[in-house]
Amino acid sequence: MQGFEYLRPATISELKKDLSTPGARILAGGTDIVPKMRQGIFSAPVLVDTSRLESLDFIEDQGKEVVLGALTTHQKLADSPLIQNVNPALSAAAESVGCVQTRCRGTVGGNIANASPAADTIPPLLVYGAVLHLQSLKEERTLSLEEFINGPGSTELKPGEFIHSVSFTPLQGSWGSVFIKIGKRSGMAISVVNASAMVVLDNDGLISDARIALGAVSPTVKRCRETEKFILGNKPSPELFNNASEICRKEITPITDIRASEKYRIHSAAVLTRRALEQAVEQAWERKS
Amino acid sequence: MNQIEVIFTLNGKETKISGDPNKTLLDVLRDNLGLTGAKDACGGEGECGACTVIFNGKPVNSCLIFIGQVMGQKITTIEGLSVKGVYHPVQKAFVEAGAVQCGYCTPGAVIAAKALLDRNSQPSDQEIRDGLSGNLCRCTGYNKMVDAVQLAAKEYSNG
Repeated sequence: MQGFEYLRPATISELKKDLSTPGARILAGGTDIVPKMRQGIFSAPVLVDTSRLESLDFIEDQGKEVVLGALTTHQKLADSPLIQNVNPALSAAAESVGCVQTRCRGTVGGNIANASPAADTIPPLLVYGAVLHLQSLKEERTLSLEEFINGPGSTELKPGEFIHSVSFTPLQGSWGSVFIKIGKRSGMAISVVNASAMVVLDNDGLISDARIALGAVSPTVKRCRETEKFILGNKPSPELFNNASEICRKEITPITDIRASEKYRIHSAAVLTRRALEQAVEQAWERKS
Repeated sequence: MNQIEVIFTLNGKETKISGDPNKTLLDVLRDNLGLTGAKDACGGEGECGACTVIFNGKPVNSCLIFIGQVMGQKITTIEGLSVKGVYHPVQKAFVEAGAVQCGYCTPGAVIAAKALLDRNSQPSDQEIRDGLSGNLCRCTGYNKMVDAVQLAAKEYSNG
């Protein structure tokens, strides 16, 4: 492993200054970066350790929005009654990441910045239309999560910039949100395919809002807008969701890799889409009564 | 590369180490501090859990933590579980239930089990399996480990 300079900022302003050092990269939980550095896949001349920045480790109900500090761990997300309440899909996704050892270290900010197509926390955040709050020495800006991710491992994050927090708006009315994943096994599994769906039903029981995001089937986590449009305004039924799962097949572009074939991924994505929609509607009905 | 100095609490004692920042907690435990209970079984990828230690009350893979990240934190390793030669209830239960075969994963599994019981002193079998899902064992088939954790849970509830 190559050597590096190690910085440990104690405040956000020190973090901004340290990150403006040429070549500086952030070390959050380290569950991806540490093994990648040891294998020589990733290197940086300056590593900025965020351990002391407790102010970035929070889950906050701000009324209109729920805000997650970038350093919130997966375990903290999974254990949070607030998240279980307002975004059960995100809660389930966080619970499904790795194992307890990696959930206690890995952070939501790291999961997003890492921009893996198979990242588990991204689909549930995408279906809630999550927004990222980015900061650097020069500016503060907000960007939707969807705009932020360009491709596998590639994001809009500029040199010197970091994710401060991610926020989303809780759903209103009769809603449901679900995350499902298929892995090779249940412990320490990277998603072969994952899916998140959210559905809102109006007073007549028709679908007034629907969003679907599929992971590990495209270069980035994929919002399936054609599928969403297809079910919008309709009454939920097995037939509707069967047809919807056929449409989502055409919206994704999976590859064959070490974990699964293209064919298997397309089939699984269709099945997961149908199941996620069915379960989201069940939840929505429970909230209606 | 500039060496860094790290002061942290290791098994209840203030400990000072200095080293290259690219060393992991597992490296210094084994190579500098002579604590070889935590093991490297997957080549430092955080896959196997054999290097599990308790970091501020939570189970973590010590191979995934650079030494700088340990500054000011509390670490407990398998060597810190027994008190004055008396084994911890989880250690006793692993022996009693025969949850040990080759032994390589055992320190990590014992630590993960302790962290689970500290959080949830009466876990279901499924909760135990989830709590140990980050600890790969190639001998026991896990059944006896689950028995051991249930045995230890009884002792936890008896105080």
